[in-house]
Amino acid sequence: MDVFLTTAAMFADPYLIGVILIGTVGGVLVGAMPGLSSTMATALLLPFTLTMEPIPAIALLSALYCAGTFGGSITAILVNAPGAPPAAATAFDGYPLAQQGRAGLALGIATVSSTIGGIFSIIVLIVAAPMLARVAYDFGPPEYFALALFGLSMLASISGESAFKNLLGGAFGVLLATIGMDFTTGVDRFTFGFWELSEGVHFIPVMIGLFAGAEFLTQAGNLDRKMVRAAIDAVKLPSWPDFRGTLGTVARSCGIGAFIGLLPAEGGTVAAMIGYNEAKRWAKDKSKFGKGDLRGIAGPETANNAATGAAMVPTLALGIPGSATTAVILGALLVHGLRPGPHLFNETPTLLYGIFIAMLLANLMFMGLGLLGAKLFARVTLIPTRFLWPAVFILACIGSYALEQAIMDVWIMIIAGLAGYFLKRFGFSAAPIIMGLILGELVENSLKQSLIIFDHSWLGFLERPIVVVFILLTAISFAMPVIAGYRDRLRAKMPPSADIPGD
Amino acid sequence: MSEKPLRGGRAADDGSAARIPRDAIAGTGVLLFCLAAYLVTLTFKEAPPALAQNVQPATFPRLVLAVMAVLATVIIVMSFRLPDKQPKPIRLMVWPSAAVMVGFVIAFEILGILPAMMLLCFGLPMLWGEQRLYLIIPYAILFPLAIYGLFAVVLGVHFEPSPLVFW
Repeated sequence: MDVFLTTAAMFADPYLIGVILIGTVGGVLVGAMPGLSSTMATALLLPFTLTMEPIPAIALLSALYCAGTFGGSITAILVNAPGAPPAAATAFDGYPLAQQGRAGLALGIATVSSTIGGIFSIIVLIVAAPMLARVAYDFGPPEYFALALFGLSMLASISGESAFKNLLGGAFGVLLATIGMDFTTGVDRFTFGFWELSEGVHFIPVMIGLFAGAEFLTQAGNLDRKMVRAAIDAVKLPSWPDFRGTLGTVARSCGIGAFIGLLPAEGGTVAAMIGYNEAKRWAKDKSKFGKGDLRGIAGPETANNAATGAAMVPTLALGIPGSATTAVILGALLVHGLRPGPHLFNETPTLLYGIFIAMLLANLMFMGLGLLGAKLFARVTLIPTRFLWPAVFILACIGSYALEQAIMDVWIMIIAGLAGYFLKRFGFSAAPIIMGLILGELVENSLKQSLIIFDHSWLGFLERPIVVVFILLTAISFAMPVIAGYRDRLRAKMPPSADIPGD
Repeated sequence: MSEKPLRGGRAADDGSAARIPRDAIAGTGVLLFCLAAYLVTLTFKEAPPALAQNVQPATFPRLVLAVMAVLATVIIVMSFRLPDKQPKPIRLMVWPSAAVMVGFVIAFEILGILPAMMLLCFGLPMLWGEQRLYLIIPYAILFPLAIYGLFAVVLGVHFEPSPLVFW
C-alpha cells in the first residue's frame, strides 16, 4: 500500500500528467488515422523514450496504447475505415449510424463503452498480474519453454486469413530470432559475414518495417482512394434508455475482452470481433445489426479496450506479450534495463503501479477527449496521404536507427517492410512474425536448458505438471482451428434449414 | 487479374485458364526458402561437444525449418481444396515507392540524414502526384529540420557525418 501511495504521489507531478496527456492525445490521433495503428505508433515512439526515465517512458507508451485502441473507433464510425484493426468491427454498425445523421451518438456510445472496458481491464490487471507473477515465480526453463510454446500455438487463433499461415509466420519469427551468435557456443548463425548481425536482429526495426514499411507501400498503391467522411453533429453522452439497452452487451464484452487479453498473443482485434459476434448472438432482435445498432458499437468497443489492460498481465507477469502492442511495451521495458517477468513485481513495484495509474488516467483522459474533441480528431483524416506517409516513413527510418544508432537497423526495417508488403499480399499477417521473433530466444534458450536439466530426455517434460498442462493447452490451441474449419465445412454442406439459429 | 474466388487450381466459370492457387505459390516459396536456409545451416561451425552440450548451433534452426516446411506443405495441400483468393495486381506506384525506400537509406549513408530527409520530403509527394509547390517546399524544409532537431539535439541521437556533406 505504501508503494502504491508513493507511486500515486508521483503522479501529482505535472510532468508525468503532461506525458500521459501527450500519450493519450497522440494515441487518439494515431488511432484515428487509417493505416496507423497503436502498435505502429508505440514502435515509432519508443526511440523518443530512450532518454526518459523508465516510469514516464512506459507511462507514455501505455497511455498511447489505451488511447490508440479507442481512437480507431472515430474513423471507423465517421469514414467506415477503421483507424486501427481492433476498431474494424465498430464500423459494421457505427458507420450506418453516422450515415443516419447520428454520428454524435455513435461516438458517444463508443467513448463510454471504451472507457468502461478500459477501466475494467485495469482492475483485471491490478488483480491478476501479481497473482500470475506469484505462480510464475517458481517457473523453471521447462515451464517457460512450454509457456512460450503455448503462446506461439495461440497464434493459430488470432485474426488473420489462416491459422496455418499464422503458425508459419510465428515459426518464421522464431527462425529470425536465431540470427546472430548462439549463446551457448558463440557460433555465428545466418550472419552472412555481417558483424552487425552477431548480436541478433532487434525486433523493433522488424516490427516498424512490417507495420509501417509495408503500410507505406500499401498507401502508395491507394493514392487515388478518396475517403468520404460522414457529417458529424456534437458528440453526446448516450441517454439512459440508449445506455441501458447496451448494458448487458457492455458487461459481457468486459469479460470477453479481459479473457482474450489475458491469453498470450491474442489482442484487441480478436476481442472486438468476438465482442461483436456475441452482442449479435445474444440479441433478441438481430435485424438492426449492420444497420446501426448501438450494441454493435458497444460490444466491440468495450471488448477491445477490455483487452488492453488484460494483455499487459502476461506481458508484465511472464514476459510473454499479450498482444502486438504489448510486445513493443515489453521491448521498451528491456530497452530501459527492466526484466519483464515475476521478478519485476519484487524489484520495481513502483513501475508497475505507475503503469496501472497511467493506464487509468489515460482511460479517463480519452473519455474527456472523445466527448469533447472527437470532431476535431476526425479531421486527421483530412491530412493528405502524399504528406502524411513520407513523414511516417522518415519517422520509421529514424526510429529504427535511433535505437542502436546503427544503419544496419534501417536496412533491416526496409527489408522487413518490403517483405511485409509481399507477405500481406499472400495472406500472412505481421503480428505472428513479431510474436515469434520475441518468443524465439526464450523458446530456444529454455529448450536447451531444459534438455540439459533432463539429460537430453524429452520425456522429462512430462514429469512436470505445469508443463503437462501447457502442453495440453497447446494441443487444444492447435486443434481448435482444425475443428472449427471442419465444423464450417460440415455446416456449408448442410441445407439452410438444418442450421441452428443463433448458434 | 480476377478477384473472384476460385476453387484452387480449377478453371474459372468464364472459361479462363486454370491458375496455380495463391497459397500453393506461397507455400512453394516457403519450401524453397526452407531449403535455402537449411543449406546455409550446413555452413555453421561445429562447436566442441563439451561446449555445445549435445545441442549444436544448427540443431534448433533446423528444427524450426522442419516445422516451417511441414506447415508450408499443409498450406499447399489445402490450397487445392479451399477457394483461391488471387491477390490484386500490384499498382504501378508501388515499385518506384519501394525504390524510394531503398534510395533513402543509400542517401542517408552518402549524403547524411538531413539532406536525405529533405530530398525525400520534396521528391516523394511530387512522385505521388502532389503539385502544390507552396506546400511541398515548406514541408521539405521544416519537417526534416524539426525531426533532426528533435532527435539530434533534444534526444541526443548521433548521426554519422556524411562523407559528402558536413551535417
